[in-house]
Amino acid sequence: MTRLQAENVTLAYSNNVAVVEELSLAIADGGVTSIIGPNGCGKSTLLRALARLMTPRGGTVILDGEAIHSQPTKEVAKRLCLMPQQPDAPESITVEDLTRRGRYPHQSMLQPPTRKDQIAIERALTLTNMVELRDRSVDELSGGQRQRAWISMALAQDTPLLLLDEPTTYLDIAHQQEVLELVEKLNQEDERTIVLVLHDINNAAQVSDRVVAMRAGKIIGEGSARAVLTPERLEEVFGVPCDTVLDPDSHRLISIPRSRIDTARKLPANPIGPPLTAEKLSSGYGKQRIVTEVDLAVPKGQITAIVGPNACGKSTLLRTFARLLAPMDGVAYLDEQPVQVGPHRDLAKRLTVLAQGAVSPAGVLVEDLVAVGRYPYQRWWRQWSDADQQVVDEAIDATGIDNLRWRPIETLSGGQRQRVWLALALAQETGTLLLDEPTTFLDIAHQIEVLDLVWELNRSEGRTVVMVLHDLGQASRYADFIVAMKDGRVVAAGTPEEVITERLVADVFSVRSKIGRDPQTGSPLVLPTRNQPVAVPAG
Amino acid sequence: MSSRLLASPEFGKRPPVRFVQLGRLAFRVNIRVLLLIGISALALVALAAWALTLGSFRLPLADVLGALTGSGTDDANFIVLDLRLPRVLVALMIGPMLAMSGAIFQGLVRNPLVSPDIIGINAGAALFAVFWIVTGRSLQWLPIVAFIGAVVAAMSIYILSWQGNISAARLILVGIGMNAVFSAGTSLLIIRADINDASRAVLWQAGSVYASTWSDVRVLLTTLIILVPSGIGLMWALRVVQLGDMTARSVGMPLERTRLALILVGCGFSAVAVSIAGPIGFVALMIPHLARMIAGPIGGGVLVFAGILGALLVLGSDMIGQHALPVTLPVGVITAALGAPYFLFLLYRMNTQL
Repeated sequence: MTRLQAENVTLAYSNNVAVVEELSLAIADGGVTSIIGPNGCGKSTLLRALARLMTPRGGTVILDGEAIHSQPTKEVAKRLCLMPQQPDAPESITVEDLTRRGRYPHQSMLQPPTRKDQIAIERALTLTNMVELRDRSVDELSGGQRQRAWISMALAQDTPLLLLDEPTTYLDIAHQQEVLELVEKLNQEDERTIVLVLHDINNAAQVSDRVVAMRAGKIIGEGSARAVLTPERLEEVFGVPCDTVLDPDSHRLISIPRSRIDTARKLPANPIGPPLTAEKLSSGYGKQRIVTEVDLAVPKGQITAIVGPNACGKSTLLRTFARLLAPMDGVAYLDEQPVQVGPHRDLAKRLTVLAQGAVSPAGVLVEDLVAVGRYPYQRWWRQWSDADQQVVDEAIDATGIDNLRWRPIETLSGGQRQRVWLALALAQETGTLLLDEPTTFLDIAHQIEVLDLVWELNRSEGRTVVMVLHDLGQASRYADFIVAMKDGRVVAAGTPEEVITERLVADVFSVRSKIGRDPQTGSPLVLPTRNQPVAVPAG
Repeated sequence: MSSRLLASPEFGKRPPVRFVQLGRLAFRVNIRVLLLIGISALALVALAAWALTLGSFRLPLADVLGALTGSGTDDANFIVLDLRLPRVLVALMIGPMLAMSGAIFQGLVRNPLVSPDIIGINAGAALFAVFWIVTGRSLQWLPIVAFIGAVVAAMSIYILSWQGNISAARLILVGIGMNAVFSAGTSLLIIRADINDASRAVLWQAGSVYASTWSDVRVLLTTLIILVPSGIGLMWALRVVQLGDMTARSVGMPLERTRLALILVGCGFSAVAVSIAGPIGFVALMIPHLARMIAGPIGGGVLVFAGILGALLVLGSDMIGQHALPVTLPVGVITAALGAPYFLFLLYRMNTQL
């Protein structure tokens, strides 16, 4: 049986370019369906159309045998609920009030809240484990808690069909597991039909009964997780070869995208990158201390990854090293000189940072954006030189974006854009490169592409690279040195083999796990263990 | 050749950019933007010449040129040099100042909805100017007083919307609030003032280039000579500011100092324009968009192009208000009536990203 299906739908935004073309999909009742695919393949657009938020240009979305657009919104909302990606919360609304809003389709204007409403709200808060936080304001919550607050609102809507767009993005491994377990619980105990758009293929493998693989607005594979998430199919979907590892605990296959790096390649003997050190360094925003008394020595000419749960202070530490934040106490040194002293321009010739939240103004061409990296070497009366042009050309070559040089930045995909920002950083000709979560928003192929490039930049001349990474497996694969942080302090620092252990993952992330081996590089691979192991699916 | 250059650059193709070096000066020039500047400047000269022939007494172009080159009759000399030329020159310089001020503020806060007349900077200049007028002080200091008013307004808006960083939404809301406060203050001053002073202030506030004098021209010209080069120089920095605070800091820009410089130049432009011609609406909001739609992202060349477009709009509007209609209307009314529908039409048709 299927209550929700798409029949030959074609979807487009105002520019009339079809994002999804003549696509048909039936959502199996009572199952968990995951939609996966590369950035821009139309998966979130499809989810919006399934939830009646977009009118198809062609074809129909059918809910309970009737075209969804011929049914009143409120009637649809009693049966189907969509949690969008990154929803906007009104400022300082409490978790309970947010959850209460989910009851909207069941209420009418004049009717006071009923007992049924209250029961649904309590149940939603309990299921999401938000009872204790019910009076807290949403904007005070951590990323994982906030995601749970939104899911709680979706649950209060009490719909048999639940659509979630990227519920695990931004979350650390512990919070990801928490959300995935909640999805399973809702499916198994509440018998809800759940549709997920997921970024992370291993998350999809963990929870889905069915996986739908999309590429360029079309479905190119559909079936059980085992049938779809094969190395061959993944290469077809994402364009990157994958290896698989058997998770001994759940007997599932974990897919690891293969990178092009040559792990045998040694670090350059005379690296151009200097060391970075922190001495009793504290920093934060306003009066709030986020990083407390950190002592740290980042080795010169190597790749260092900073890992830790959401809100542990890893980005704050990186920003303090980059002089984007002033230390409250202590000193951050670059090559034994405090970064806080001297003109900003001088520091920008030695250190560059690729921070989150860069703005790409419309109409600016790629080359002009890369040219901004020359700013510290220029003056308003000497805005350009042949040397500038040469460095910009080299940066564009090194990042492989020559074919995009004259394109406006807004027409580029996420992965291409990230390479442009890296080229800008390269044009600064610094010995040190700091990167704040360079792979967020990117699909697996683009993640590998960006990290391979960073690795190449380090291995070619020995730039000191420090990056904040979310994915522990990627951190172990690419980094020579790992710094693990928790609650604003450094709890471990060393080689991946020394740092990434079952004990540390349990201490820092509060997740039980087994440590496997990366099939390509042999570096540690974290395989989270579930609290309740599930039966091995047949076939 | 030139027609191919003038067409919008083709997607993914190299724009006609050349590297130019003149002694210690070295910069990149977009030939297309340069060409657009040249063509619009020619159009402006032609329009100005036409404006000089129009009036209750029509002069042939030859007489106008004669008067300008010093070989005209006494009558022609009087009409052209004393009556018409100051007004044309003022209209021609007010437009660029408003347009450039708008371009700077829009770039600075990365928001297309901002212009000095919306976020209260003009209102701040007007409050100080009206205070100066109704207290009967010397009018030669009016531009300076208006500039101080504009800077005070800009700084209070900036401080009130500062919360570790500047959010564009917050800045616009604070600006609209300040606009209301300043306008209320201005109204209060006018109501309480002596009737003669008040009527002078009201006349000034209507926004007009009527009765412009050579001393107005001198003030505007001095301002343009000082501020246009600084504006063009600052566009080099603005291009970086637009990439976000984090990127600007990471390439080593002293962000606070650059912001302050941009605010001062933007305020200078709008305050002096307002002090001479009163508040003329829509130019500062609209012309920068128009310039970007035609010439591409903001930069030194596009700033100049926006200035010339502003001159064309204000001069053209003044000519329409003065000659084309049965009643004479202040220029501000025409800029709004002419510009706003055209702007809406462009937005509707081009579907541009703002």
